[in-house]
Amino acid sequence: MPRYMIQRRFPAGLHIPVAVGGAEQCRSVVEANAEHGVTWIHSYVSADKTCTFCVYDAPTPEAVRKTASVNGLPVDTITEVSVLDPYFYV
Amino acid sequence: MPEHSEFLERADELAILRDELAAIGPRGGGRLLLVLGEAGVGKTALLRRFCADVDARVLAGACEPLLTQRPLAPLLEIGERAGGDLGILAASDARPHEVVAALLTTLERGPTVVVLEDLHWADEATLDVLRLLARRIDAAPALVLVSLRHDELDRLDPVRVTVGELPGPPRRMTLPPFSLAAVAELAEPLGLDARELHERTRGNPFFVTEVLAAGGGIPETVRDAVLARAARLSPQARAVLDAVAVSPGTVEVTLLEELAGGELDGLEECLSSGMLTVDGARVSFRHELARLAVESSCPPDRIVALHRRALAALGAGDEGDADAALIAHHAAAAGDRDALRIWGVRAGERASAAGAHREAADQYARVLDTPGELCSRERAQLLAALAEERYMTAHLDGAVTAQVEAVACLRELGDDRTLGDGLRRLSRLLFFAGRTAEGEQAALQAIGLLEPLGPSRELAIAYCNAAQRYTVTEDLVRADRWARRADEMVELTGDPEARMYALVNAGVIRSQTSLPEGHALLEEALARAQSGGFEEQAGRVFNHLAMWPLRARRPDLAEPSISAGLDYCGERGLDTWRLYLLALQAQLALGRGRWEEAGELAHEVLLDPHSALLARSWALTALGLLRARRGDPGAEQPLLEAHAIAAPTGEPARLAPVAAARAELAWLGGSGDDIDGLTAPALAIVVERSSAWAASELAYWRWRTGVPPGVPQELLTEPYRRSIEGDWKRAAAWWEQRGYPYEMALSLADSSEEGPLREAHERLLALGATPAVAIVAQRLRKRGVRGVRRGPNRATRENPAGLTARELEVLALLTEGLRNADIATRLVVSQKTVDHHVSAILRKLDVRTRGEAGAAAVRLGLTDRPA
Repeated sequence: MPRYMIQRRFPAGLHIPVAVGGAEQCRSVVEANAEHGVTWIHSYVSADKTCTFCVYDAPTPEAVRKTASVNGLPVDTITEVSVLDPYFYV
Repeated sequence: MPEHSEFLERADELAILRDELAAIGPRGGGRLLLVLGEAGVGKTALLRRFCADVDARVLAGACEPLLTQRPLAPLLEIGERAGGDLGILAASDARPHEVVAALLTTLERGPTVVVLEDLHWADEATLDVLRLLARRIDAAPALVLVSLRHDELDRLDPVRVTVGELPGPPRRMTLPPFSLAAVAELAEPLGLDARELHERTRGNPFFVTEVLAAGGGIPETVRDAVLARAARLSPQARAVLDAVAVSPGTVEVTLLEELAGGELDGLEECLSSGMLTVDGARVSFRHELARLAVESSCPPDRIVALHRRALAALGAGDEGDADAALIAHHAAAAGDRDALRIWGVRAGERASAAGAHREAADQYARVLDTPGELCSRERAQLLAALAEERYMTAHLDGAVTAQVEAVACLRELGDDRTLGDGLRRLSRLLFFAGRTAEGEQAALQAIGLLEPLGPSRELAIAYCNAAQRYTVTEDLVRADRWARRADEMVELTGDPEARMYALVNAGVIRSQTSLPEGHALLEEALARAQSGGFEEQAGRVFNHLAMWPLRARRPDLAEPSISAGLDYCGERGLDTWRLYLLALQAQLALGRGRWEEAGELAHEVLLDPHSALLARSWALTALGLLRARRGDPGAEQPLLEAHAIAAPTGEPARLAPVAAARAELAWLGGSGDDIDGLTAPALAIVVERSSAWAASELAYWRWRTGVPPGVPQELLTEPYRRSIEGDWKRAAAWWEQRGYPYEMALSLADSSEEGPLREAHERLLALGATPAVAIVAQRLRKRGVRGVRRGPNRATRENPAGLTARELEVLALLTEGLRNADIATRLVVSQKTVDHHVSAILRKLDVRTRGEAGAAAVRLGLTDRPA
């Protein structure tokens, strides 16, 4: 399955509480993704929390957009990526 | 062994089934539920137990584990029980939609549980029945329970595809294997090691039960367990067991008696041991796994002897063709070629009539595969039938191969009339397979053979075929010439099928020069095709009623044709045409700015194994263009695939859209292609054929990227001509009026004024057209405009529905109850712009009315945001 890096912007900042509410938010995203065969691997968040880089496994870019709209998440760019491991060459 | 063993740990499932049944209304509100699980997990046992004490009528039927099944096997069984029209229809040559209509009538009688077992073995017609039933289940007071082994199905298996696409989607219930605790409860009284038994059987209830019934140790495999149990039977009982083992599904007691040589003494022992079960006058193994184990342990000579007896018994009686597939199965297993030839062909014809084309093709192929001296004429007929069935299941390469062989056969026979007709059929298949040049050659060869024989139905159809070939490539001069000869021949022969064919051709030819006149002709052809029962032609007409208006950017004409066509073709299982229409709908949705829908439809077409090559090329073009316009990855691949399909066809309707899409992708920065080189080959063809819309589309993209358009002025259609002339205002108005938001915004962006550029920017942002937004933003910045957004970020996509700032403003005013005209005044924009925003809001919030939009705004907390 292709892997994608999805860039999302949150002008007001992304705030996921480190508590029950945050766990609930993440769980509901993961569940909605599963219905479309999409897996959220993990994300990187900018220091000011206005931008995230999310690594996803998904069958198609359309599935990525579909789940984003179901979850109410913005999508700025979707880039198909593969892993480059620098230590592989050492 | 405790009788209830199979129902351990099934209390929850039974409760769910009872709840589902209780939820059914007295006159409707039906439901469909899938019962999933591996072989032997107890699906059948659970359903039988549930049905045994429900307070409703039960109609149950099972699919059969025959290599080539009887079409509609479970419906035959249900029909026998229900009687009435359904009983008659299922046993005759009825089509799936007729069977469903009769079933629904039967269901009106009151709450019913319908059980369709072992769907993993289903034939194509049964799958069609399920699909149609699922669509109408809400109107029937019925609980439909469908069991299947979903784990054994390949991703592209038709059963899996059908189940995956059922509307609803229906509730699924997966039966887990027994837990260790349950196995322990059963094993411990017998002194067996529960942990070992659970591990060896992986908790599979059937396996566990067999081990317990066999006594002794714990065997390695389920087969060993079954055979250990069978080994304890007396020789008479074992003889009965073998006789049942050669009969997939169930076997009538009377037939069983003949198979067992008149001796049924052992039957009682088999039943009391629990290896066989009896239902009315039919006997079967308790499970297919047991049948397979016993069959595989039976000596080959005994198996053949039993199949011969079955063949003699069934083939002699006047069982009717309903059992042809079963008889052909015995004939094949008995190695009786003559019988297989007779029954295989009858079974194939019956499957074909029921719409089970995959099974029909399998039957014909099996007969053709048997070595024997079939005479050429028979063989040619059978090959042609195989080609037709393969065409019906969109297996085009296989269809061409079979028809080529049929033609070779006919050539040997030296009968020009049948050879000419065979070549005409081959020509059609070659066209469908995208092999245009070869198809054209075959079409002309057919005419060359038939003409000297004088007027005939075959010649009339051969002329029609040639005319159709040239209408597809938009070679209207040639198309017209053959169409006129076809008309003369139709008058001479008066053949109704040829007349229908000629009428459709006339409509298609006319649609290319004058859309309204062509459309009217096609409407007339449609009415006649429907009343005359020419379903295949009707499917073709729907396709043309959608395709030509769509090409001329007339969604008002295309949209109703697509939805009516989808209903018609869906009901009748005309899958090839249904998928063509879905591909056209994907293109339409893309044009109308319904991008998410476009993506979903394109994927639906591409995932369906029935999609013809040419339907795929349309879906691929829509998908590639969608990704290009969104700036998503993977735009080029589908366009290259579509190009590979379109290139050998020489059809303007296929070549131009793909070339234009690739040019657009290059313009948007998604590929480094040279636009002149990319569009020139298609351009040469479409200009030569005077295909106005195809030529205009290509000219437009060449113009946009600074390449000379290369199309005569008089061939250019309005919106493109306006753009090329620099009249962006009229071009934008034209697209706006036809309802193409993306094209409209691109036209606005051709302005050099700040206002229209800003509006283009805004509209492209709303569509999520990121690469085009960047292009327009750059134009704005060049004009010294500051603070231009580069993508759909910043102010947009902050809310769950992804509304833009402007749309939020409009929504706020709309929620206050303002009319569009008032909103326009308030925001100092045209009313058209407000109309546009309002429809975008309704679409994004997935609501139909302004009232619903207001409610959604409150629910989503959108209205109290600062605009």
